[in-house]
Amino acid sequence: MGKMMLLLSTLGISLCLFSLIPSALGIWLTLPPSGTKCVSEEIQSNVVVLTDYVVIPDSSSLHPTIGAKVTSPYGNNLYYKENTTHGNFAFTTQETGNYLACFWVDPHYLGGKEISVSLDWKTGIAAKDWDSVARKEKIEGVELELRKLEGAVEAIHENLLYLKGREAEMRVVSERTNARVAWFSIMSLGICIGVSGLQLWHLKRFFQKKKLI
Amino acid sequence: MEQTQWKRSSKMWMVLACLMMSFFSSIESLSVTVNDVECVYEYVLYEGDTVSGNFVVVDHDIFWGSDHPGIDFTVTSPAGNTVNNIKGTSGDKFQFKAPTHGMYKFCFHNPHSTPETVSFYIHVGHIPSEHDLAKDEHLDPINVKIAELREALESVTAEQKYLKARDARHRHTNESTRKRVVFYTVGEYLLLAGVSALQVIYIRRLFSKSVAYNRV
Repeated sequence: MGKMMLLLSTLGISLCLFSLIPSALGIWLTLPPSGTKCVSEEIQSNVVVLTDYVVIPDSSSLHPTIGAKVTSPYGNNLYYKENTTHGNFAFTTQETGNYLACFWVDPHYLGGKEISVSLDWKTGIAAKDWDSVARKEKIEGVELELRKLEGAVEAIHENLLYLKGREAEMRVVSERTNARVAWFSIMSLGICIGVSGLQLWHLKRFFQKKKLI
Repeated sequence: MEQTQWKRSSKMWMVLACLMMSFFSSIESLSVTVNDVECVYEYVLYEGDTVSGNFVVVDHDIFWGSDHPGIDFTVTSPAGNTVNNIKGTSGDKFQFKAPTHGMYKFCFHNPHSTPETVSFYIHVGHIPSEHDLAKDEHLDPINVKIAELREALESVTAEQKYLKARDARHRHTNESTRKRVVFYTVGEYLLLAGVSALQVIYIRRLFSKSVAYNRV
């Protein structure tokens, strides 16, 4: 009985401490009273994305609700929810491209003011669930922090390789464009000469036919 | 016996809680379309935190090279003072020490009517100072070192995100160049052929019987 009380009290203390951390750890967006506001990010394939959004309550008594939508680069609707004040959504990207998250104010809300939405958008290493890793491998404290740092370093390495690949692709396109500029300009000169030659030949034949030459 | 157990478990929770709070740092990296003014808010927990980030204007459909003057970027503190102000740029990095804790406003202003897409990245980093160390005896100096390491790695990540956004913008320009080369040269050929055909037709008309060719 005493042990239970102790456990509960420590849990209570820790919960109080954790609640000091603001629940809105992301950025805040202001939604206009009409229209949609969208944020996007270009994400590679096979990356975990965690989204968490909360409508920041106004000082007034009105409870605004919003709609949220997440679309993939090919236009598929990955998430759609209307008339809500909060929500979270997680997915793994299938394609590389621009992922769009759009928010709009519910038309039923007649406040007419701008609504603040707190959006927490985490991709890749930031979306990793360190609590489950800590529980599974039974590590905590400094070792967990060092493990997180190791994860960050690996993510940096991956990003660097990705940037390298992108640079190589762009270099190919640049070189191809460079070659094309040269070829097309020479061809343009050739077409110019060819067309004017055709002109001269045609006009000569025409005048000869008209017996003017 | 129970007293020491209490102390031990509470110590563990305190350490975990303090570690969680001292290593709190937020990362946001997104793109937003700026029509006129777009503001993004980020909460800074502690005074003295380093707020760093970068932004790049990605969707830049300029026709001539020096057409668009860029966008303006302003950071406002919760007290209302302008902390940082960058004018007329197509992308830049920024870093400042937050004078107070609270909600900071990061605004992008587009002086032109064409909407631009801005890709930005904001990071709030906190390193426990000596004051925090003195306040909480469970906080080791190693936590400070780990926080410093984390901040250094975050700065590398920030630089990579900046490079990625710049690469996207460069790719956009490259694609535009490629398309321009193909379309404009093919258009030029067709125009050349068309103009010379028109020339021939005009000269033929000048010599036709319907238009008094005696004039020529």
